[in-house]
Amino acid sequence: MATPVSTTSFTHRRLIKLAVAAQMLFILAVAGAGYATTALGRTVTLRTTPVDPRDLLYGDYLRLTYSISQVPPTLWQGPQPPRKHQPVYVLLRPQNGAYEATAVSATELTPTAPDQAVLRGWVTDSWRHGLRLRYNLERYYVPEATGKELQKTGGRRPLLVKVSVAPWGQARITRVEELPK
Amino acid sequence: MSRKLLETDGPEWVRKGIITEQQHQQLLALYPEDQHVVGLLPLLGSLLLGLSALSIVAANWQGLPEWLRLLLLLGSMGGAYAGGEYFLARRNESLGIGLIGLGLILFGCGIILTSQMYQLIGYDAPGLLAWALAGTALTYLYRSRTIFVLMAAIGGIVQGYSTGQLGTFSYLTAALTVVGLGYYWWRHPDALLGTVLATGLLWQAGLLIGHLHAKITWFFIPAMLIYAAGDWQTDRSAGRALQTPPLASAFLFTLGLALYGEADTYAGMLRPPFLAYIGALLGVFALSLWGKYRRSRPGSATDWLLLLPGFYLHGGLALAIATLVVLYAYSGTVLWRAHQENNADRVTLGTVLFIVTTMVAYFKLTWAFMDKSLFFLVGGVLLLGLSWYLRRKNAQSLSAKQPE
Repeated sequence: MATPVSTTSFTHRRLIKLAVAAQMLFILAVAGAGYATTALGRTVTLRTTPVDPRDLLYGDYLRLTYSISQVPPTLWQGPQPPRKHQPVYVLLRPQNGAYEATAVSATELTPTAPDQAVLRGWVTDSWRHGLRLRYNLERYYVPEATGKELQKTGGRRPLLVKVSVAPWGQARITRVEELPK
Repeated sequence: MSRKLLETDGPEWVRKGIITEQQHQQLLALYPEDQHVVGLLPLLGSLLLGLSALSIVAANWQGLPEWLRLLLLLGSMGGAYAGGEYFLARRNESLGIGLIGLGLILFGCGIILTSQMYQLIGYDAPGLLAWALAGTALTYLYRSRTIFVLMAAIGGIVQGYSTGQLGTFSYLTAALTVVGLGYYWWRHPDALLGTVLATGLLWQAGLLIGHLHAKITWFFIPAMLIYAAGDWQTDRSAGRALQTPPLASAFLFTLGLALYGEADTYAGMLRPPFLAYIGALLGVFALSLWGKYRRSRPGSATDWLLLLPGFYLHGGLALAIATLVVLYAYSGTVLWRAHQENNADRVTLGTVLFIVTTMVAYFKLTWAFMDKSLFFLVGGVLLLGLSWYLRRKNAQSLSAKQPE
């Protein structure tokens, strides 16, 4: 049954070329989205600590846990209690040099003040005294030459992570730096 | 002598009067089709190559500049596709298709690695959807079973990632699998691809039920829709292959019901709103029966015995016994039809089902009352005796019907 169509046919060849070109363009578009998110997005600074200070680098990435990764259940807005794996919107406001969560909702949130921002995440766990969230920002793939430096400083002190949030909802970590003294 | 030669030249020998049509059929029966194993080799080969390439690059990935990484991704993918075309043009089908499959795998890796490179977070799966779209397009362009299997797997992976990591069900991926692969299979019916397609669809249906937090019995509505599609397929063996995974899941479910159904808490977890569920099930049943009638194979309607919604009965031993009766009726009809159709594979299947049912029944009905050593002794003797009897009966019945 596996009879490939005759490859001499002109339109077939053209369709194949088209399919391969489309796939290449798509990969380039993903790279483009990376640049566009930094250029057009707004920057949010988050406070974080590496998960295990003794072993900061897990291979080629840092594992981070944010101050907004665990929030009190009072921030939850919604008629039904949060469910595991549920996608959520988290409203952020700057406090003492970094953004902190002020509300978590299952429905779309829009910032009401210019200094607010919305980050999307997922519920990983919820219990009576807390709500654990995941943002897929928990891994930072370390760019060349910054790994050693981060390992020296970040192992003992919390870090600041700058995240760009694009208007269309994509987010990316743009910088990881030491907390200013 | 190969089966291919018999298939191509056989009719000519019959026409020239060298052999009779009946002898031709007998010769064909001596050389069963065994193409499936060979068809899987290029798939495995491309998977292994893809993994090894990935591990080599991954070890040095962070040390490479961005432009080189992008070039590497695009170059290896383009190279795999170009190589595939090169070998296909030279009639080396398995290597060619293997390389095309590798190109498709590299496309998926490219999407993932590029988003990782830019630390990009997506909140839905458009990137992976593009992967499934490319897989569907290539299935049609190359009309290859290997690419079809690969695409069914990609659909399952994308859906698993979507529901597991992103908390959403990708209806577009599901539609792509149903319409894209479903239509392809409908036009090019094939037994192996039927089973692959049905398994992929059942996996996605299961994820949907989990995602919606619905009662698991709703699973059997999409599952039996897949079954009904098999009834309408004109190619008998392809249709039967599509129906096997839904039937297997229904059998396992009923077996579970016989084992655990008497606890009403368990049965209670299975009861969707009566009218809605029964209405939907009857709708699918009608569709299936209509298909069976149109393709004149009404005998297989007995498959639907497994879908009797016994879980609406209130628990207790009555439910377990009712379910066992259904299981016996089902495996009995499989055996009976197998003898009618003189189908040796089906006889084996029916025998296995019958023995499994007997094991469950024996366990269910005697465990609580019997001394344990006696339980195992009697059980062992019962099963051995039953398998000996069934095998003897099958052998007699099949040899009696063998054409002279």
